[in-house]
Amino acid sequence: MFRSALLASFVCLAMTTPPVYAQDPTSLQVSAQGETSVSLTLAELDNLDQVSITTTTIWTEGEITFTGPALSSVLEAAEIKASHLALTALNDYAIEMPAPDIGADYPIIATRMDGKPMSVRDKGPFWIVFPYDSDDAFQSEEVFAQSIWQLDRIEALDY
Amino acid sequence: MSAHESRRRIGVFIVFPLLVLLLGLLGGNLLRELRDLSTAEVDNLQWTILQVETEIANLSATLSDAVAAPESDADAVRLRADIALSRLLIVGRGEALDLLRGGADDLLTRIETYQSDMVAVLDADTELSQDDIARLRALTKSIRPDIRELVLLGLEAGTRRASERRAEFSRQLAITGAIAIAVILGLSAVLVFLDRLLVRADKRDAELLNSSSRLTSTVAASLDAIVTANESGEIVEFNASAERIFGWSRDEILGRKMDDTIIPHHHRAAHAAGMERYLATHEPHVVDAGRVELSALRRSGEEFPVELNITSVKSADGELFIAYLRDISQRKINEQKLIDARDKAESMDRAKSQFLAVMSHEMRTPLNGILGVLDLMQQTRLTKQQHRYVQVASASGEILLEHVNEAVDITRIEMGSMQLSTHPFEMRTVVEGVVDVLKPLAREKDLTLTLEFDASMDRSFDGDGTRLGQILTNLIGNAIKFTDAGGIEISLSGIHGPDATSMSLVVSDTGRGIPNDRLEDVFEDFVALSHSEGRQSRGDGLGLSISRKVARLMGGDLTVQSTLGEGSIFTFNVPLLRAQVSADETPYKRAERPQKQSDEKCHVLIVEDNAINRSVLRDMLERLGHTVDDAEDGLQGLRKAKSRAFDLIIMDVSMPVMDGTEAARRIRAESGPNKSTRIIGLTAHGREEYRDRALKAGMDGFFTKPIRFSALREVLSFETPSRENIADLDDEVLNDLLEVLGPERAKKTADTFFTDTEAQLMMLTANEHDSAAVLHKMRGGAALIGLASVVAQIDEIGKDIPNDSSIEALRTVLKDSQENLLKRFQRHIQAD
Repeated sequence: MFRSALLASFVCLAMTTPPVYAQDPTSLQVSAQGETSVSLTLAELDNLDQVSITTTTIWTEGEITFTGPALSSVLEAAEIKASHLALTALNDYAIEMPAPDIGADYPIIATRMDGKPMSVRDKGPFWIVFPYDSDDAFQSEEVFAQSIWQLDRIEALDY
Repeated sequence: MSAHESRRRIGVFIVFPLLVLLLGLLGGNLLRELRDLSTAEVDNLQWTILQVETEIANLSATLSDAVAAPESDADAVRLRADIALSRLLIVGRGEALDLLRGGADDLLTRIETYQSDMVAVLDADTELSQDDIARLRALTKSIRPDIRELVLLGLEAGTRRASERRAEFSRQLAITGAIAIAVILGLSAVLVFLDRLLVRADKRDAELLNSSSRLTSTVAASLDAIVTANESGEIVEFNASAERIFGWSRDEILGRKMDDTIIPHHHRAAHAAGMERYLATHEPHVVDAGRVELSALRRSGEEFPVELNITSVKSADGELFIAYLRDISQRKINEQKLIDARDKAESMDRAKSQFLAVMSHEMRTPLNGILGVLDLMQQTRLTKQQHRYVQVASASGEILLEHVNEAVDITRIEMGSMQLSTHPFEMRTVVEGVVDVLKPLAREKDLTLTLEFDASMDRSFDGDGTRLGQILTNLIGNAIKFTDAGGIEISLSGIHGPDATSMSLVVSDTGRGIPNDRLEDVFEDFVALSHSEGRQSRGDGLGLSISRKVARLMGGDLTVQSTLGEGSIFTFNVPLLRAQVSADETPYKRAERPQKQSDEKCHVLIVEDNAINRSVLRDMLERLGHTVDDAEDGLQGLRKAKSRAFDLIIMDVSMPVMDGTEAARRIRAESGPNKSTRIIGLTAHGREEYRDRALKAGMDGFFTKPIRFSALREVLSFETPSRENIADLDDEVLNDLLEVLGPERAKKTADTFFTDTEAQLMMLTANEHDSAAVLHKMRGGAALIGLASVVAQIDEIGKDIPNDSSIEALRTVLKDSQENLLKRFQRHIQAD
């Protein structure tokens, strides 16, 4: 376990070394496999159904209410169907999320923390958040790894 | 056993939930551990800390690029810086801080300073200048060693925490393992326990099966019917014997009620009530009461007696009743047969005794007449031949009378109506009396007859002396009869207790003896061993039988030992009470009566209900020259006794209207003319128990019917001294003497006796010799020649030390007896 954690960190180090795409911290890039990406602004995300999750996290102190559209509704809005999603952060941290892990109302792409937009410095502007306190299943290493903050882009992968 | 069992069962029920609970705890523990392992906040924190270094390195690289190329995008620099700062912010709070706290305060302060310095530059409202970038680069460069240290600290803390966690996990594993081992051990124990239970149950099953099959075969083979019924009376088991006895087959009767099958109709209500009562109270009545006899019903409708034993057992379906029945109809039939046979035999025996008693009694009355008349006839003038005929007839009559008397005795003994009278008697008088009487008989056959009389027995005893004398007479008479040569020895001794004496009288002879196998037969009724030899057997048919019966009635016994060809020894043992005082035996004090000379004519009153007896007695008395008045019963007699004075009253004891004892009592009580007249009682043979009553009523003497001439003469002599029934002269002895010796030689014998006596009297007065020995010798001689009054006088003297007056009295008696005797002899000499 520890070993795998360490391993994962090295993998991440290796992956994040080369700076690749031009990054815009104010919009979220969504794309199907091999297609040009669609850029979703904060306003556009706000137009989708908002979901609130009140929970503690291992990265923050105290209970916090996160608000934003569910990932599933974002994918639906972008008309994307895929077996996997590749999620990438501003620092090029990337993780693959299998489609079955996505529920109807979790995770959300949080755009507000306690009602306030999040700066990059505050792990914003977009943060994948699960309702960690509601179920032990959301306390796993895998879920923590999927909880990408400073989310930059979503790429649909179909194997 | 059931309590033990249930305790065990409870144990099992407690152990299993405990094990399940333990397993549950164990499972919960493991699950929790698993969850802990699947939650990874710490790992993630380590990752987060590592990311800080990465992001700082990225920032550092971006800043270096920006310094090298001043036209570069300032926004990219700002973004990198924000990303790096966001990582640092995480380190500064939450669990990351907890992890690092302690020993890292300086480091954290420096990092915070770096943060605020960076924010101050970045958040300025102006575009980032080259200077700003250079400053950021310098700040970042200088913080990198600190970041490095932070990462190392984080890793170290993480490692420490991980090892703590490992230890915790080991501990959990150890606990889990221990619990698992405990569970396994517990399960093993339970398994062993279950195995043992199983083995035990198997064994018990086998035993149960064994005993059940044994029981089944026992029940099947039982000769008794075994019927099992449940509480509602339905038959649930019925063995082979039951099938045979009741006639029902097992298949037919199972499930049917006892009430409808094997219980007789008239018992059914009682049975139902009994069952109901038992089930209500559980108090057994027939159940467990042991063997009872009841009746049962066969299928054929026949009722039969059974012996029954019911036990009850508790079963799962309630109480079961097991009845063991035995068909006892055959036994009952046999019992009844036996009872019938016994009853028949008893009634026949009673009838026989009754007949014998009646016959004997009825025969005695005419016999009395015959004997009386024969006596009278002997007094008339007869030719010599006629005289002999009369004598034969008289002797035969006497034998007949004796047979009849014996028959009466037997029946009286058998019917239990014989009573012994108890009054004082002198042992020597009785024994020597008998011996003296029989001596002539012995002499006739040239046999010696010796008496060995133990001195300790020479005294008075309370008892039935008459019966004792009869037994002795019988024994000696038999001995003489069955002995042809040698002699007879009589020995009398006793063992003396405080109040009583066990008398032992032994009569031994040198006769032909009795075969060993017939020893007891001599005591049977109507058995006479000598019949085969054609001898006349006078009285020996019943004599020994009666003697033994009387002996036993007296509490003693009569036994015999014999050696064939050498002789027999009869032993008569009897316990006797010693008389304490020889006081006057009769409460009635006799008044002095006018003495009459025997030659004087008397006036006699006869009170007797039997006409023949009355007339014979009258003839006898008139023959003797007396005048007679008679009465038919006590009341009539009493009336006559009031009218005038009599010289003698002869009174039958048992009569209708008023009996003799009552009449005598009244005559004595009333001051009539016969207040002091001699009254002689008469009784039927076998009624000697009246003697005491008669004497107490005031009678002077007592005779058994038929009264014979000789006795009558004696009564009329008026010379009887103090003792009744002992006349001056003992006629029987005298007659025997006369018969044996003839009058001449008898007279000579008597003369010798009187001469000897004279000398002996001199000795007594001179006191030179032992008076007892002298008196004893004199007594023997007197008894031999029948001088009853002399014997009585000697006995009187023997009670005390002889003195002059008593010797003088004896001398007088001797003189009187001598005169009487001479007269008697004279008469016989003249008659011849």
